[in-house]
Amino acid sequence: MFGPRKPRLLIAKPGLDGHDRGAKYVAQVLRDAGFEVIYTGIRRTPEQIVATAIQEDVAGIGLSLLSGAHLLLFRRVIELLHAQGADDIVVFGGGTIPPKDIPLLESLGVAAVFTPGTSAERIVERLDELLCVPA
Amino acid sequence: MPRLELPELVRGARQSGPLAVRCAGRLMSLVTDEPQRLAELLAMCREWPQPRLVLGLTGSPGSGKSTLTDRLVLEYRTRFPADKIGVIAVDPSSPFTGGALLGDRVRMMQHATDPQVFIRSLASRGRLGGLALGVKGVVRVMGLVGCRVVLIETVGVGQSEVEIAQHADLTAVVLAPGQGDGIQLLKAGLLEVGDLFVINKADRDGAAALQAQLLAMLQRVDLVRHDRSANGVTTQVCHDVTTGPESDPSHARLFLTSAREHLGIAELVDALEARTEVAQERWRTEREEQIEAELQSAVLAEIERRAICTLRTNAAVVERFDRLLGGAEPLAAVVDEVLRRTIGDATSSTK
Ligand SMILES: Nc1nc2c(ncn2[C@@H]2O[C@H](COP(=O)(O)OP(=O)(O)OP(=O)(O)O)[C@@H](O)[C@H]2O)c(=O)[nH]1
Ligand SMILES: [Mg+2]
Repeated sequence: MFGPRKPRLLIAKPGLDGHDRGAKYVAQVLRDAGFEVIYTGIRRTPEQIVATAIQEDVAGIGLSLLSGAHLLLFRRVIELLHAQGADDIVVFGGGTIPPKDIPLLESLGVAAVFTPGTSAERIVERLDELLCVPA
Repeated sequence: MPRLELPELVRGARQSGPLAVRCAGRLMSLVTDEPQRLAELLAMCREWPQPRLVLGLTGSPGSGKSTLTDRLVLEYRTRFPADKIGVIAVDPSSPFTGGALLGDRVRMMQHATDPQVFIRSLASRGRLGGLALGVKGVVRVMGLVGCRVVLIETVGVGQSEVEIAQHADLTAVVLAPGQGDGIQLLKAGLLEVGDLFVINKADRDGAAALQAQLLAMLQRVDLVRHDRSANGVTTQVCHDVTTGPESDPSHARLFLTSAREHLGIAELVDALEARTEVAQERWRTEREEQIEAELQSAVLAEIERRAICTLRTNAAVVERFDRLLGGAEPLAAVVDEVLRRTIGDATSSTK
């Protein structure tokens, strides 16, 4: 409780499918690891996600994706962030993303991709690294 | 965005365009994260534009505060299309991990891309009272970017409803049928705190019964106040308890709404506008007085932060503290040592 405060994060669920189990799970894992997590609910557009992230001044955006449109959605979010002068916001993601697409996502600027089965500890550890939380 | 200091962020937030929102968002982080910054900001904000109304919404968990907030935003945006509106949504932090899950926004996403609506979620961060330190600063920044009305949603548990009343011009207690009986209201102290009472979920059974119960309780509270003032104890003005828009809307106190069906929202906003018309000058003065209190608590918070740091890290203090644990040292001696070392550290670090 008295350690340095962990950053604020946005967990968003873009795309058309209504399954937010994964997104809610990650939001809770991060909350339990001491992050302040803003959760937006399902079916959010990249525009809504980026506008929210900027008003909330979060350090990172996590996108949970199941719909298969991940390339498009990640690209759009990153483009919008850039247009708003908000490139410093770290973008990460998870869900059913085929491993072959991961290098492509990384080249777009996605900082980390968590595939199904990634342990809660691993997610927290990686985000701690990415967002420079001193251990 | 490069790390900007307070005056630059203030300048940035006053301009228009996407960067202004970033600056405003960053300013809010500064004042919620760092008490010193909050103090600086409060000291410089007197000349800024201010909202006409800061409305607190509190009440039992799940009574529909976020949904109602969403509908109020919609109503204000329709009535005053040129004006901005701000929302501050506070949810509790976990006392165990310091983390928080801030979910009020889920109900308000229809406004996410409206540039006239600024929504900010805050974690209570373990403050006694359940309201985040810096809420006042966030309200001021919302004023700075031109918000006409600011709505603050907070959970009605613990002491938060008492504290919200100190941050808002008006406090609305939001209740819903099926969420506990009237005695629980009394226990929670919500009756004393509310300027307005909203029974939401009026589309559900039990709303009318809750309304009748609440009405009776409010009348009783008024009678007590009236008795006291008759005996010269206080001079609180007591209004008639009225239930509807047919009487003077600035006196109406009890409202029935269905946020889900968008019913009763217009009447509520009528009443809020009528009250704002009557009281906004007085509220302005009150806000100025609150700045003084807020600055005092910012000073105290900083003292506490530094003292905790000394208590945990200063070798001499730790040694004395260990003796205190063993019963070999009076508490006062440890306190003196903490104060001395805290000041010593401060003067040596500024040189
Ligand atoms: N039937 C009915 N349900 C409503 C109404 N308003 C809100 N709800 C539902 O009540 C539930 C809680 O609504 P919220 O707006 O999240 O309530 P809240 O008071 O903000 O909840 P917390 O912030 O968690 O305390 C949701 O499922 C809403 O859809 C209403 O007027 N009628
Ligand atoms: Mg809520």
